[in-house]
Amino acid sequence: MNTRAARIIQAARAAGQTTLSEYDSKRVLKLYGVPTSKEVLVTSQTAARTAASKIGYPVVLKACSADVTHKTELGLVAVGLGTGKELMEAFRLIRKRAGPDYDGAWLVQEMVSGQREVMIGMVRDAQFGPSVMFGLGGIFTEILQDVSFRVAPVRKRDALDMMAAIRAHRILDGVRGMKPVDRHVMAQAIMALGRIGLDFPEISEIDVNPMIIRGSRPVAVDGLIVLGE
Amino acid sequence: MTGIMENFFAPKSVAVIGASATTGKPGNVVIKNIRDNGFKGKLYLVNPRGGRIEGLAVCTSIDELPHGIDQAIVTLPAVAAPDTVRALGARGIPAIVLAASGFAEVDQMGEALQAELGAAIRESGVRVIGPNTTGHVSTPANFTSSFFPLGKVPGGHISYITQTGNFCGISLRHIMSAENFGVCRVVGLGNKVDVEESELLDYLGDDPETHAILLYLESIKYPKRFHRVASRVTKKKPVILLKGGASDEGAAAAQAHTGSLAANGRVVDGAMEQAGVTRIYKYSQLFHVAKALAAMPVPAGNRVSFLSPSGAFTVCMTDYCRAIGLEVPQLEEITRKRLQKFAPPFIRMRNPVDIFGSAGLVGYEKAYGDALDAVLSDRNIDAAVVIMMLTTESGIPGYDFLVKLARKHRGKPFYVTFMGQHEHNVAAKAYLEPRGVPCYMQVEEPFEVLSVLSRCRRSLGR
Repeated sequence: MNTRAARIIQAARAAGQTTLSEYDSKRVLKLYGVPTSKEVLVTSQTAARTAASKIGYPVVLKACSADVTHKTELGLVAVGLGTGKELMEAFRLIRKRAGPDYDGAWLVQEMVSGQREVMIGMVRDAQFGPSVMFGLGGIFTEILQDVSFRVAPVRKRDALDMMAAIRAHRILDGVRGMKPVDRHVMAQAIMALGRIGLDFPEISEIDVNPMIIRGSRPVAVDGLIVLGE
Repeated sequence: MTGIMENFFAPKSVAVIGASATTGKPGNVVIKNIRDNGFKGKLYLVNPRGGRIEGLAVCTSIDELPHGIDQAIVTLPAVAAPDTVRALGARGIPAIVLAASGFAEVDQMGEALQAELGAAIRESGVRVIGPNTTGHVSTPANFTSSFFPLGKVPGGHISYITQTGNFCGISLRHIMSAENFGVCRVVGLGNKVDVEESELLDYLGDDPETHAILLYLESIKYPKRFHRVASRVTKKKPVILLKGGASDEGAAAAQAHTGSLAANGRVVDGAMEQAGVTRIYKYSQLFHVAKALAAMPVPAGNRVSFLSPSGAFTVCMTDYCRAIGLEVPQLEEITRKRLQKFAPPFIRMRNPVDIFGSAGLVGYEKAYGDALDAVLSDRNIDAAVVIMMLTTESGIPGYDFLVKLARKHRGKPFYVTFMGQHEHNVAAKAYLEPRGVPCYMQVEEPFEVLSVLSRCRRSLGR
């Protein structure tokens, strides 16, 4: 078990949270080897600007709080911010949408670009225990439900089988001039979710959606860890 | 082999509790079944009225039975089950088959009775198959506990674990009357109050008499255990599962997408795939796949050749093969040339093999026989299907050439199917199957079996 991840989860539980914030979720994922987007958590407009300069434009700005799990639907995400001016405008707009009671922080992220989005996840199945999912990500996740599951622990061969098992598996190949997805990196990420599921019985679900394929490498740009009993 | 399962599958002595002198009653049929199957162990009967049944002396109570009996078959009504189990346990009988229905499958009273039965089993330390089952069969021991009139069950190396009371009754009758393969161990699990699929799969995985295992399950009692056991067994022998009720398996209340996507049996599907279990989705394939496994080896892959005298079949079946994950690859040049030898020059022979012209030129047996020999020798081909079109007018060939080719090509499977006059198809099947060539009455069936077995091949020897 990763002790730093354990401390993050423990702190969230102590604070009575039922989910980890996006920032904390991705910290845990990263500690288990899932590639995640570069990001800085900030609490002020000035700090956001400093972070953006450090990360390099364009950036993404998100409200980040354990209480906010549907950021996109609430209009609390701004992508493709190319300048400091655009960042400040987005900051003001999102703060307004978040409302006067919002006391969460702000996440400044690198803008990860790629045409393909996949998703990985974990669920604690009533019959088989922690089970890991791979499938099409982004808006297609729910529409096509093109996913495959395996029971943890997930071996590398299982992870490779999961990629081959979805109907749209050819999207992982070098199609339309795109590079083939690095299946080794993808497999490591899938296997990591199995390990997290086995290490932390208090985690009931994980969504890593989407993972954007940048070049050939998948990068988690959003993440949600749900705490159960 | 030792252990409790031996008491079920290789008993040396058996008692029938509820033995009856009345023809047709379960307590009578089971005695006839045991005798018809040539059971060589000792048979004891219990009925409070005593006397003699089927020529055997009857004990009036379980207490009168000698010590050291391996197994008891109970054909008494459900309500008597808990007390009977306790009495058998006290008599030192470790393995019990409970036939009666009227437990949790019926109503709340039945549920309560089943709970009481469960307690009786735990307290007595006995092991139980059932209740609510037609029992089990073990042909290596010439034994059955079924109360459905079966007669002598043909022996073989195919074993079944099934969650339906009809299996050691009607389904077995179907196998015995419509098919020509033998079985090894067959279990109707019933309500699975004690013995369940994982333990049986584990046992059959190590059973040298069992070469392939087919399961029909509506639920998996210990999913993690089943997953673990299946992962081990599927490396050694084919494990084929028909899982009923998959569409009912919902996900737990979910906050994340992954949880909601875990519905519709997707986790079970993934878990079984991971464990190397080969899924089927048709009840009839429990028989179709079994007879292929009984007679022929598992194909090395999914590359198929087939012989057809009709252009329609070469087209349709090629389409169907692709739809179900089979390849119909090009043949080696040496094979193609050999096929061309007997063919009219205007037909360009290839895969699938249009055999019509050759059959017209050199006769049915020579054309089919040489072509089948050729494709089975081809390194691009893992399995073959022979489509025969039999009518009285076109003449009925001898079938021995197929039997001989089955013996010659022991490493590669082929199956026969038909289109044409039903009586000739039936006669061909009746001749070929007992001689080791599986036949299928519908033209898609042998391809479906190859699709299943090529998936199965991926698990073997991992």
